[in-house]
Amino acid sequence: MSESVAVTGIGLVSPVGTAVDEVFEAVCAGRSGIVRPPEGHALHGVVDVAAIGPPVDPESVIPPKEARVVDRSIVLGVRAAEDALADAGIEVGQDVDPYRVAVVLSGVGGLGTLARQAVERSRRGRLGVSPFMLPGVLPNMAAARVAIKFGIRGYMSSSGTACAAGGQSIGEAVRILRSGEADVVVCGCTEAPLFPTFADAFGNALALARGWSDPTTASRPFDRRRNGFVLGEGAGVLVLERAGFARARGAAVLAHVLGWGATSDGYHPTTPRPDGSGAAESMRIALRDSGLSTNDIGYLNAHGTGTKAGDSAESKAIRGVYGDGMPPVSSTKGITGHLLGASGVVEAAIAVTALRKGLLPPTHNLDDPDPACDLNHVRGEPSAAAVDAVMSNSFGFGGHNVSVVFGRADG
Amino acid sequence: MKYSTADMDDDTVLGPAGADLESLALAELSMRVEDHFGVRFDDDEAEMFASMTVGEFCAEVARRVQTASAT
Repeated sequence: MSESVAVTGIGLVSPVGTAVDEVFEAVCAGRSGIVRPPEGHALHGVVDVAAIGPPVDPESVIPPKEARVVDRSIVLGVRAAEDALADAGIEVGQDVDPYRVAVVLSGVGGLGTLARQAVERSRRGRLGVSPFMLPGVLPNMAAARVAIKFGIRGYMSSSGTACAAGGQSIGEAVRILRSGEADVVVCGCTEAPLFPTFADAFGNALALARGWSDPTTASRPFDRRRNGFVLGEGAGVLVLERAGFARARGAAVLAHVLGWGATSDGYHPTTPRPDGSGAAESMRIALRDSGLSTNDIGYLNAHGTGTKAGDSAESKAIRGVYGDGMPPVSSTKGITGHLLGASGVVEAAIAVTALRKGLLPPTHNLDDPDPACDLNHVRGEPSAAAVDAVMSNSFGFGGHNVSVVFGRADG
Repeated sequence: MKYSTADMDDDTVLGPAGADLESLALAELSMRVEDHFGVRFDDDEAEMFASMTVGEFCAEVARRVQTASAT
């Protein structure tokens, strides 16, 4: 039996707040973070709806001299990591050897900044391109900035697994801790995709929700009238520790990561395998890794983005794994929008909070469940239920399927 | 981007000992001078910036502007 992994810190930046309780309250109360992009926003007039995160001043997280060109994704990631470490009460170098701390943090990178620099290159030629661009946009730079800021010297990596990257980072962190390579891992994902070129690509691929006069109704996971996802931005970081290490330093444990599973669809660059077999297998592997059976899972936070194909494939997968005894299921993207890879961490935090509070958030806008999404939905009001373990799914372009199982702190 | 220039004068060294411009900032300084004044520093000259003072750097830019306009 490998050593268990404790969750000791959570840091979030999301369209519905930065404190985990605030985010949880929003998804339970139906307080949507989805808006029509206001005048002055990069997506004003580009897309109908977006899930916009709070303003974060780059200079509040990165020294001004070094932040001349820095993508918002890096800024949000560093802020979330800072909050997660503070939540865990860890001072690197004081509470833990810097070489025993790892960072696994990623996202799609600073594509927005890259796009803007490309425009400057077209306008002004070579002199339009800043030497600060590369450290300002590379997808590993959020991790690097966290290591630099907090003096972390252990293993560092960035998973480029699209919308599965958050879940993947948590899984990779578990693997690192179980192997004994580190005592503490700062893991998560950060995304700032709200810029026209990226939004147009999703829009032209008919992936985005459109035609909704009320923005708060646009994201409709599992609903019959769903017609795409709502692009959002945000970051989520967890601090995970070897449970023994957390105990020894007297840390407050929020939950345990009991296990995880990951598979690939091997099917199509952007369409999930329609039978959901890859997703089903990632859930089965996560259950096996946790030493749990389907009956032990008391709540499932689905990936459920609101696309036709994605929601129905995930529903087939969930039904295939759990059958009629499936736990209550919801997707919280009806409120948060789709934060790409960061969704996996924000939703893990929501699932952990559901576990802690015994309250299961509903799927917002699920007015008329699609028969193709035949699940044990949590609808309308949040549902009170004492649960011992929860599962969170994350799937990504390319056919990445990741499932993570969390258990109670006292379990 | 706001740098505090309150403590800087002609004797302030551009690099770590003074204004603390690191390698990318010095590269950008070179680009901006090139863009604004139309004078070029080649790569190994740009590497010398860190040890120059503000005054030396300005004098060098001025000298090159003059040389360029005289030809």
